[in-house]
Amino acid sequence: MARIIGGIGTSHVPTIGLAFDRKKHDDPDWRPLFKGYEPVAAWLADTKPDVLVFFYNDHATTFFFDHYPTFALGVSAWFPTADEGMGVRPVPPIKGHPGLARHMAQSLVNDEFDISVFQELPIDHGCNSPLTMLWPGAVQAGEWPGALVPIEVNVLQHPVPTPLRCYKLGQAVRRAVESYPDDLKVVVVGTGGLSHQMNGERAGFNNTEWDMKFLDLIERDPRALTAMRLADYARLGGTEGAEVIMWLAMRGALSEGVKKIHQNYYLPMTTAMAVALFEEPGAAGAARKAA
Amino acid sequence: MNPQLEGIESLPGTYLFDLERSAKALRLNRFLHDFIHPEKRALFKENPEAAFEQAGLTEEERTMVRNLDWRALIRYGASFFTLEKLGRLSGVSNPAMVAHMRGETLEEFLKTRNVPGAR
Repeated sequence: MARIIGGIGTSHVPTIGLAFDRKKHDDPDWRPLFKGYEPVAAWLADTKPDVLVFFYNDHATTFFFDHYPTFALGVSAWFPTADEGMGVRPVPPIKGHPGLARHMAQSLVNDEFDISVFQELPIDHGCNSPLTMLWPGAVQAGEWPGALVPIEVNVLQHPVPTPLRCYKLGQAVRRAVESYPDDLKVVVVGTGGLSHQMNGERAGFNNTEWDMKFLDLIERDPRALTAMRLADYARLGGTEGAEVIMWLAMRGALSEGVKKIHQNYYLPMTTAMAVALFEEPGAAGAARKAA
Repeated sequence: MNPQLEGIESLPGTYLFDLERSAKALRLNRFLHDFIHPEKRALFKENPEAAFEQAGLTEEERTMVRNLDWRALIRYGASFFTLEKLGRLSGVSNPAMVAHMRGETLEEFLKTRNVPGAR
């Protein structure tokens, strides 16, 4: 049976990928960011998950406003890297997991989550910006050490799904993963945030106090976060910061008793960059022994 | 009014991208989105007026794009994420776009940041 051994919340700011590509690891302006991801990369190297289920958003790259899906699940064996307007970032194409993804599509739809599906569409920095931090050896190796099941969430064009709906999607994803017969280790990843706003005179808005509260509640009391409205998220964390509802999808796929074992927060410029690692009780320890 | 968004109008300097803005600026956003294609980028670089013509942009839209008037483009209905593609193509960074929207110079904006060198 497939099982979820943990979760990761991470920002997906494009400059995270750029800093990696430009080898800024030891640059004092970027060192705190790289350092914050090291324990997460080590945990992944240690537990060796087969699949990352990745809640991400497309940035009007692959999906345009002529047809912008609320939720879309990638079910193919691979996904090319998107050209976002500057050529293609030099990272390996993403490997999918069609077996698990097709099962998840069926399970979600039968569970009344009528998700759309896509195949072989390019994926942008929504996935690949944090991915090189999580699996830093992949670029040199020429391939990612595991597969991804990407789940796109509309956080760009309102109406976007409610925080509660995202949490429920995560719960449905957990049921889908746990009903897959093959023995797979799965980690769920929620991307985006934290506080930032990229439009209007309020652009450049940040709120570290709120970000810290969010990082606390996402572990301890996610239901308090699902009770909030999108307007509350925009007021507290900026209109673009409201994309942290994708962390709620990740959290919904984890158990009540999950523990946050690491977090890092860095706000150098316009977007607060955070990463948090959650471990399921027992599961990851067992995964480590088996690995 | 979307009950999820009630109260958002009280946020100053905020232009939420919703279906109304999306419909108004669909042609402009499609033009900007098209920069994911190398041939569209090449056309814009070589002959921006021909690119405007091909996309059927209005004079108002052409003027905002010519002037890289980020503040006006956002107010009009451009999505930041399609604008970002024009930014990259024009050699303008996100901090510079944000500074313009705030009505500041890049230098003024960077003074308000924790790590001005992290660009």
